[in-house]
Amino acid sequence: MARVGVFTCFCGANIADFIDVPQVVEATKKIKGVKVSAEYKYMCSDPGQQMIRDAIIQNRLTSVVVAACSPRMHEKTFRKALSDAGLNPYMLEVANIREHSSWVHQKDKKAATEKASDLIRMAVAKSIANEQLHEISVPVTKRALVIGGGIAGIQAALDIADARIPVTLIERSPSIGGRMAQLDETFPTLDCSQCILTPKMVDVASHPYIELIPYSEVIELDGYVGNYKAKIRKKASYVNFSTCTGCGACTQKCPVKVSNEFNMGIDKRKAIYTPFPQAVPNKPVIDAEHCTMLLKGKCGICAKVCEKGSIDFKMVDEVIEREVGAVVVATGYDLWDPKPYEEYGVGRYKDIITSLEFERMVSASGPTNGLPLRPSDGKVPKNVVFIKCIGSRDEAKGIEYCSKICCMYTAKHAILLHHKVHDSHAYIFYMDIRAAGKGYEEFVKRAQVETAATYLRGRVSKIYKKGDKLIVRGEDAQLGQVVEVVADLVVLATAVIPYKENPPLARLLGISYDKYGYMSEAHPKLRPVETAKAGIFLAGCTQAPKDIPDTVAQASACAAKVCGLFSGDTMKKDPMISTINTENCTGCQNCVTVCPYQAIVTEEIPLGHGSKEMRIVAKINEGVCQGCGSCVAICRSMSINLAGFTDPQIINEIVSI
Amino acid sequence: MDYTKQIQEIASKLFAENKIDYFVGCKQNGFDDNQVPFLITDPQDIPKLVFNDKSVFNLTNYLKADHTRRKRVGLVVKGCDSRSLNLLLTESQLKRENVYAIGICCEGVVNEKGEKAQNCIECVMPDAVVFDELLGTPKGRKDYIANVDLKELTEKPLVERADYFSKVFENCIRCNACRHSCPLCYCAKCCIDQETSTLYNGSNTTSSAMHALMTWSLHLAGRCVDCRNCEKACPSHLPLHLLHKQNEKVIFENFQQHLAGMEKDDRGAFYKYSLTDPDDFIL
Amino acid sequence: MEAEVKTTQGAIVSVENPEITAPADWQPVIIGILCNWCSYAGSDLTGTSRIQYPPNIRIIRVPCSSRVDPWFIIKSLQATADGVLISGCHPGDCHYISGNYYARRRFLVTKKLLNFVGYHENRVQFSWVSAAEGPKFAKVVAKVTEDIKKLGPLHRYKKENF
Repeated sequence: MARVGVFTCFCGANIADFIDVPQVVEATKKIKGVKVSAEYKYMCSDPGQQMIRDAIIQNRLTSVVVAACSPRMHEKTFRKALSDAGLNPYMLEVANIREHSSWVHQKDKKAATEKASDLIRMAVAKSIANEQLHEISVPVTKRALVIGGGIAGIQAALDIADARIPVTLIERSPSIGGRMAQLDETFPTLDCSQCILTPKMVDVASHPYIELIPYSEVIELDGYVGNYKAKIRKKASYVNFSTCTGCGACTQKCPVKVSNEFNMGIDKRKAIYTPFPQAVPNKPVIDAEHCTMLLKGKCGICAKVCEKGSIDFKMVDEVIEREVGAVVVATGYDLWDPKPYEEYGVGRYKDIITSLEFERMVSASGPTNGLPLRPSDGKVPKNVVFIKCIGSRDEAKGIEYCSKICCMYTAKHAILLHHKVHDSHAYIFYMDIRAAGKGYEEFVKRAQVETAATYLRGRVSKIYKKGDKLIVRGEDAQLGQVVEVVADLVVLATAVIPYKENPPLARLLGISYDKYGYMSEAHPKLRPVETAKAGIFLAGCTQAPKDIPDTVAQASACAAKVCGLFSGDTMKKDPMISTINTENCTGCQNCVTVCPYQAIVTEEIPLGHGSKEMRIVAKINEGVCQGCGSCVAICRSMSINLAGFTDPQIINEIVSI
Repeated sequence: MDYTKQIQEIASKLFAENKIDYFVGCKQNGFDDNQVPFLITDPQDIPKLVFNDKSVFNLTNYLKADHTRRKRVGLVVKGCDSRSLNLLLTESQLKRENVYAIGICCEGVVNEKGEKAQNCIECVMPDAVVFDELLGTPKGRKDYIANVDLKELTEKPLVERADYFSKVFENCIRCNACRHSCPLCYCAKCCIDQETSTLYNGSNTTSSAMHALMTWSLHLAGRCVDCRNCEKACPSHLPLHLLHKQNEKVIFENFQQHLAGMEKDDRGAFYKYSLTDPDDFIL
Repeated sequence: MEAEVKTTQGAIVSVENPEITAPADWQPVIIGILCNWCSYAGSDLTGTSRIQYPPNIRIIRVPCSSRVDPWFIIKSLQATADGVLISGCHPGDCHYISGNYYARRRFLVTKKLLNFVGYHENRVQFSWVSAAEGPKFAKVVAKVTEDIKKLGPLHRYKKENF
């Protein structure tokens, strides 16, 4: 037998001025099942809550209705009051008589009062059908998987590991470091990228809580938040890392030369190689696509020169499994191929290069020993034209969004050029200068003043060759004139695009991605590091173009989220999720199809009691279900119910009006 | 259309090769030239099998029963029947290897007056879409034609239509024959019968019949294959197809010309969505 | 063809049952089923902004518009409601990623089917109201209330009448 207590709040004058509260309280007393109907000025205040607690105990109430403001406001407050008085907190219903009645029907007290009584009647009816619910606790495997060993992955891994949580960091290339390792100096402070990055890389390798698996990729992720099972493929490196000392003899003797991707193809590397001198781990791998021993079975020089005998041509890919509780995705970015800019002669003129190629050249450890050189004749350029927004903000040829970092790195390139070649001059064609950030505007000013770089607002329409020079024809929109600049070298600030393997990876992880291929965050403003799948987080350019400070900030935010998730041995979860009545379940699996979180799986149960024959039924994964109710509404046999919003609860509300 | 001989041969062969435990077909009812569904457990009964334009039943309905679900069953499927078989397979109610389907390229069955049935005139897919062997010459998919009765009724004023359906629901005796004859109503316990559901008050009123039939038709929306087993089973001769055809029409016109059971792994229009679904009816 | 909406001598005539009339000051009962994340929050915003709307609507909170089973609508019309309003997040904004897309399909079919068996099409209406659209919620409720007032009391298929 239900014993409901109804507590109507005046909310000061907010409710009482527009609703006849005493009348509502009297009307409420007549509702079947209502044992107590009381009123108070501020129900949410401590005396108000005390009133509820006392009434629960004195009248042995089975459920409570608070008629006050929106449940989105104080539901939690009143639940706590219930639980303090020993009643299950989910036996509470809130009748929203402020936002839904007193505030919106201020001119019609009679109607507002009537409506308030109705809303209370509905809440009482619903509360009678309420069930006792208990917070769900899900066990947590305290290990994080970080996908990607760029600065985002490194930072996230270090922060998580510093909280003494084991981390598995996997990286697709032979070394961690990512794009940042390719950079020379970084804006806005011009500190050397290697100087600030390599110590972190070494920390990763030596950290007791980090397991670094380079040259590997995720091939499968099963499970749910707190309980993921990842399958990782370790690509065959053909070098036994445990015995290799990284002496480099093999690399020196290898006769096969291959275009060096780390240096953007400006120079050559060997078929057995370490990507760059500061690589972590500093062990070489064999590029199976080019090694003549692996391709044709001839050569094997590296094996001969290796004193440790670490070369193993028979090595194969290995699949390992790790149980993890959370995943940080930090796959990074690629650069847009400027080929569609045919009018610039991209591909025809050797002296048109991309920003990252320029970056490698000016890098002290780069292929040209820190000097920008013209690819055509190897001469030092004097006049260098930088063109921004190549592909960015270009719906016709490229992508619609702003790549965010090009304004800043182009200013940096102007400064670096000035540092390396003192008598040079930089011309910069731009659409807008977007320098929002700490010290950013000052940095652009510095480029303009210190290096006397010529900033030309306007687009370049054409580049053509005259002798060994490139003539850049563009518009100076501020003067309204066509300008022509005689250039030795042209540098294109190409757009940032998502890592090309993002979509297949996203599908494999079960998270969504946008039309460009960036992974989608759960909420663009309020949940920027979470994905819609609980326990999977995003860091760096895998989510959107970002500079290093933003990337590091997001990576640390991921670490904070992971540490929060792992703060207890179990996770607490709202119990308002779907439940399956296996007796009626037909096993049609339509719910599996519509669930947006893959929270429904199937299981086999005996056909009847003690029967050997099995039948398939749906099973809700409590850790994953978010309680949307999609499955409930499509279940024809009514085998699924959503705790807190069950069919009887809603029907009670409908029929009680 | 008469496949009696071929079907008898195939059935004998299947029993002889021990490929099936049961065979579901049709036989003469014994007092006029109409037929009844026929479950063969003993090959001796095979000569009683018939199949012609009076074989009106969707035999896949007999696959959902407890005693046939887990057995190897051979059966005859027309175009519409095979679509419901497709759905039963997609919805994991049957295992494909347990079913031996003799597909028919159907020329249409007749109604009680001996004329070609309305649903056969409007049929979009006369050939079986799932089968182990196919009899007859395939005619291919036809254009979708809106149901005649539906068209007539839609054009009537609202009050007349409401009066018409009030009569229909009033005449429903809630015997649930429609549900039992529908191959796609396979729930162990129908939502209508669940004690906890508070869905229906159980009394036989126009109102509760409306609720029951409307819910039933919405559960079949995007799944109904227009075999009209329900109508043949209805003792009150209610025009049940109207509700299904109405849903089918709305779904066909609005959701990428969706028709139930045409493709493997298609669960029906309500279990998928498109970003370009109509939005103009929403404020 | 829909029946003409008539008012004779100040009384409101039920569209589905012309013999049923109500006095001119008759107030309909409307059940509003709102999703928690967008429309319910939007209706709260209407309150906090003190935007006034007709008092006929009684609001039921559900987590997502995809939780709304079509029989909630039928049950509402069978019980006291003269009309039903269901509101969810705008397409693409669903808190649960895709719930409102599934719901949208069901709503269209349900609305057409109800109209087919004799309910006026304005008895059941749907809207997308975001958490920021307090003014829109008030407008939607005003419109729906206005529409349903014109249709007169719902008598057809009501539980107590049969």
